[in-house]
Amino acid sequence: MTHSRGSSSNDRLPGQSNALIDARSGASTTWAALPGVTLPAPVAVVVGSSFDALAAVHAHARTGAELLVVARTRMDENLRNELRAAGFTVLDGEHVDPATDDRAAEDGRLWLLTSGSTGRATRVGHTLSSLTTVSGRLPPRRWLCPYSPGTYAWWQVVTLGLSSIGQDLVIVDPADLDSWVAAGIEHGITAASGTPTFWRRTLMSHGDDITRVPLKQVTLGGEPVDQAVLDHLHAAFPSARISWIYASSEVGASIVVHDGRAGFPVEWLERDSPGRARLAVVDGELVITSPHHGSGLVGAVRTGDAVMVEDGRVLITGRIDADEINVGGAKVSAGMVRSVLQSHPDVAWAHVHGRKAPVVGRMVVADVVLTSGETAAPGIVAELTRWCQDRLPEYGVPRRIRLLAAIPAKETLKSDV
Amino acid sequence: MSVVPREQIRLLMGEVLAAQGKELPDDDSVDLRDIGFRSLDFSELALRIEDEIGEELNFDAAGLRQVQSVGDVLDLLTELQGQ
Repeated sequence: MTHSRGSSSNDRLPGQSNALIDARSGASTTWAALPGVTLPAPVAVVVGSSFDALAAVHAHARTGAELLVVARTRMDENLRNELRAAGFTVLDGEHVDPATDDRAAEDGRLWLLTSGSTGRATRVGHTLSSLTTVSGRLPPRRWLCPYSPGTYAWWQVVTLGLSSIGQDLVIVDPADLDSWVAAGIEHGITAASGTPTFWRRTLMSHGDDITRVPLKQVTLGGEPVDQAVLDHLHAAFPSARISWIYASSEVGASIVVHDGRAGFPVEWLERDSPGRARLAVVDGELVITSPHHGSGLVGAVRTGDAVMVEDGRVLITGRIDADEINVGGAKVSAGMVRSVLQSHPDVAWAHVHGRKAPVVGRMVVADVVLTSGETAAPGIVAELTRWCQDRLPEYGVPRRIRLLAAIPAKETLKSDV
Repeated sequence: MSVVPREQIRLLMGEVLAAQGKELPDDDSVDLRDIGFRSLDFSELALRIEDEIGEELNFDAAGLRQVQSVGDVLDLLTELQGQ
């Protein structure tokens, strides 16, 4: 089945003339100039690069053809078979795997794959409209798009480029991320969105070069955002607006904070405001009722993210199943310990977790990357231990601190831990 | 499997205490309560030994026993490495 909705739908795409730049090849085009493709909906389009996915996105925007975009690095035989059994034709370059179970296409439907806690890919239904969470007139920006194609964060940047006038995209594949700063300088990137891990890696690897990227907007999301990374970014880009966003495939972009501080004001809890997500905390878990949620997710959604209130701010500390460490009956938030470590001036990144230990069951331990990248800096472990002792209860102080040479990261730009 | 000898365990125990601003006396008969060596410190010491030998210590093998003095700690952790 092919899909066609006629040319009138082009009117709904105000960003048609926005520039699309492929950082790898340097090629520049616009949405309107992308090669036309016909999608055999429902279709799963497998792409080797982020830029290669744009023609399918544009075709969906014009015709409403049911579409799922997935990076080739994520595709395996199981997922391919699951998609075909769910009615998708799988298009991988010239190769076509027909659906094994035929069904009618759903007009306007977009699917995202989310890993969830099990690591098994599940589909969350969206539409261009539910993925487009930025509205109103925006200042012209040239956005870095560093995300893996088909992820929620990728769609956020792509729909911004498609639906808002003056929002150009510079597409960098996750595999090429180490070179994004050079692309940022060359193509004049003025806005960039990435995870805190992405920003820490960037600040650590590029030093003063990063300040040559003319950023006016710096956005963080996808992981807990602590004050230290916000402060480092403010120091690097004093004239940029620095924002953090809480967003997920399930609840969409639900929290946006522009005041340069970690967490969000406690006054935002239990507040009803038209068009905005309602935020609540239930048993230490963030619960969101969102106007941008995925299909089938109605009402309050338990996010699985742990929160705590401190100094009038609601801080998101991490995933509930990974955040709480029980040390001999005393509960420790890994996120809070991480935040303390990352506030040390010599620390670029930290990962905190529980390790099985005699007597107390589990102990707090940490992997740390220093800003210098050193792994044998004399005295630093003792210094970090003292830093934590001054700021945390005794059972929250990491008893083993391992120094790593580089920040581990995976394709989602989140830390690889 | 490599083994951390008793004397080296003593050095590690001294490091654990030093990180807490405490000192390890030379006398093995000193009571752990008198030097402020508590369960968190014992656990940390066990992890340090595990990191040295590259294996997890099997505390189930130790059974129930009283660990009251510096010498008790050193004896227990020496024995467990062989189990």
